[in-house]
Amino acid sequence: MTLANGKQANDSTILEVKNLKQYFPIRRGFFQRVVGHIRAVDDVSFSVKENEVLGLVGESGCGKTTTGRSILRLYDPTGGEVWYTRPDGERVNLAPISQKEMKPLRRELRMIFQDPFSSLNPRLTVKDIIGEPLVIHNIAKGRELEDRVGELMKSVGLNPAYMSRYPHEFSGGQRQRIGLARTLALSPRVIIADEPVSALDVSIQAQVLKLLEQLKEELNLTILFIAHDLAVVEHICDRIAVMYVGKIAELTSSEDLLYHPMHPYTEALISAVPAADPDIRMERIILEGDVPSPANPPSGCVFHPRCRYAKDVCRSDPPNLEEVEPGHWVSCHFARELTLHGIGGGM
Amino acid sequence: MEKIELSTSEGVQTGENVGVSGALDLELSRNGRHEIHESYLQLVWSRFRRSRISLVGGILIAALLILSIFADFFSPTDPGQIDLKNSFIPPQQIRFFDADGNFHWRPFTYLQVLTLDPVTYAPTWEEDTSHPYEIKFFVRSWDYKILGIIPSNWHLYAPEEGGTVYLLGTDKFGRDLWGRTCRAGRISLSLSLFAAFISITVGSVFGVVSGYYGGWIDNIMQRFIELIQAVPALPLWMSLAAVVPITWDPLLVFVVMACIFALIGWTVLAREVRGKVMAFRGTDFILAAKEMGASDTRIIFRHLYPHSLSHVIVILTLTIPEIILAEAFLSFLGIGVQEPLVSWGFLMRDAQSLETLGTHPWIMAPAVFIALAVLGFNFLGDGLRDAADPYAIM
Repeated sequence: MTLANGKQANDSTILEVKNLKQYFPIRRGFFQRVVGHIRAVDDVSFSVKENEVLGLVGESGCGKTTTGRSILRLYDPTGGEVWYTRPDGERVNLAPISQKEMKPLRRELRMIFQDPFSSLNPRLTVKDIIGEPLVIHNIAKGRELEDRVGELMKSVGLNPAYMSRYPHEFSGGQRQRIGLARTLALSPRVIIADEPVSALDVSIQAQVLKLLEQLKEELNLTILFIAHDLAVVEHICDRIAVMYVGKIAELTSSEDLLYHPMHPYTEALISAVPAADPDIRMERIILEGDVPSPANPPSGCVFHPRCRYAKDVCRSDPPNLEEVEPGHWVSCHFARELTLHGIGGGM
Repeated sequence: MEKIELSTSEGVQTGENVGVSGALDLELSRNGRHEIHESYLQLVWSRFRRSRISLVGGILIAALLILSIFADFFSPTDPGQIDLKNSFIPPQQIRFFDADGNFHWRPFTYLQVLTLDPVTYAPTWEEDTSHPYEIKFFVRSWDYKILGIIPSNWHLYAPEEGGTVYLLGTDKFGRDLWGRTCRAGRISLSLSLFAAFISITVGSVFGVVSGYYGGWIDNIMQRFIELIQAVPALPLWMSLAAVVPITWDPLLVFVVMACIFALIGWTVLAREVRGKVMAFRGTDFILAAKEMGASDTRIIFRHLYPHSLSHVIVILTLTIPEIILAEAFLSFLGIGVQEPLVSWGFLMRDAQSLETLGTHPWIMAPAVFIALAVLGFNFLGDGLRDAADPYAIM
């Protein structure tokens, strides 16, 4: 591949997303004329270090799932670059390459899907589901495939004796383990976990998260963890990026984000996380109005219609994502001026 | 669609306990050959069995198929044998009691003799009760070839030497109508099955391509389907059937006729398959297959098309009777199949004139076969629809 780039980023950076844009055309009428665009992902940049878990958090419809899918080329990005560093140090831009060139890279970058019910084909046995990536990439077949599937099932805590069962014979948590085994089948380096636990019961969530964490250590994985719930990501993630209407609002280490948020949207999100200690009383910040449509985003800062600190400048000028403190990126005009409250910051 | 629960005796492993399954060895599962699991066909059969009416349909179709395939075995006399002296004999009664009221253990028939009405001179057939001709079972009689290959002369039943058994009477040329009808089933059934197969194939390909690729391809294909649907079917078949030259090889005529009848149904099927494919195209498991790097062919054949299979079966079982009826209709009008191909509709051509119908109503007997076949396929389809898709989620 001739896509290697001489410019080296941080040595340990495995995935670098630069100005990623994913617009979906809105078509109308008999001739399917394009009348507008949904800006699902609009100018998103971040990088993921090797063996790191980066959380991507936001409300539903903010473009976090689309970001994950664009990186893996399930959609063709409208613009921007996705630089992936292969094990030999070669850097590849995933955004413009063809599906054919993408195929060998799919072994290294995999995805976990959100819904364990719809992401498994109900007509295939567990063996066929978990073994499918191995068959597609011509890695194993026959007895060897069966052995490999059995090992994978064991590694995610499923009984290999159940490999000829169908997905509907398993519970939600077990199905998500099947999905996880399918993801691990090709020994990937990077996993994009698209809300892997949000469809599960709370009691099962913890088990699956724990398993994911354990596998990450064992297999040296790098994970982009997409979630809509700060409570889920706060333990597993090293750093967290908060997304709002297709843009990144704030990106910093988990601890920093939760205890010292610098974006008003993050503050509102944190105030919604239920505290385990009944003595901690927090003022819950209720955001007025709805999430703006990505087809018709507001002028200036996309958050200004719902922001309680908004001033005139917010309505006219969109803020840039700036490094306000070392490693703490915020997209707000008043990041330095505002004093915001994180967890435990009762008012 | 109804969702069924499949619980094997062991039940699903309860809870999410990692420790329990971790202790289980892979070797153990290998020697124990996993667990006993119902195969796809077993599942289909167990669901199919639940529907009584479809079992009846299945038996009807099976009976008609056996009658057609082994038509010669069921014919006491060669149905191809022309004997003008025996023209239009009415169906013969099978008797157990003779004219004197004595009971006979073996069934028998009386010979039919032609008499002229002394007033109108109209020929009528009457029974000659002087000598009963016993019917014998599993006898050797005239020669034929099973499936056109294996020579045989065994027959299910035949009359004693000199007697006749015409269960459905004879036609204008004195041929046994029962044997002719059984033989005609070969063409009627195989033609409609073949035509339905073509229709299903074309419809599926159209539907899958249109639904999977979408966009302008879909637009063009759907407009084409609408164009086909806008053409009135009957005049189209009639004109197409009329241009098939009589001089062609019978096999070629058969294939061309099948293609003409395949024009029915495929557009409906293409629409249904397209809808199903479109519905499933956006599901997560298709996305997951793409994410693995699966090719379009793999996604279509492994993940998309099997989900529309139950619809395909429904359309198939609706298309077959439709084609049987259409073929019978065209052949009745004389623009369907031609000799030497004989179908049920073709046999009824003699019943076109009211005069014939009035004096020899048994000529209409093939209509009963047509009705049975149509009912049979409809009943069968009813049960198959539910049975074919035991993993249905939509």
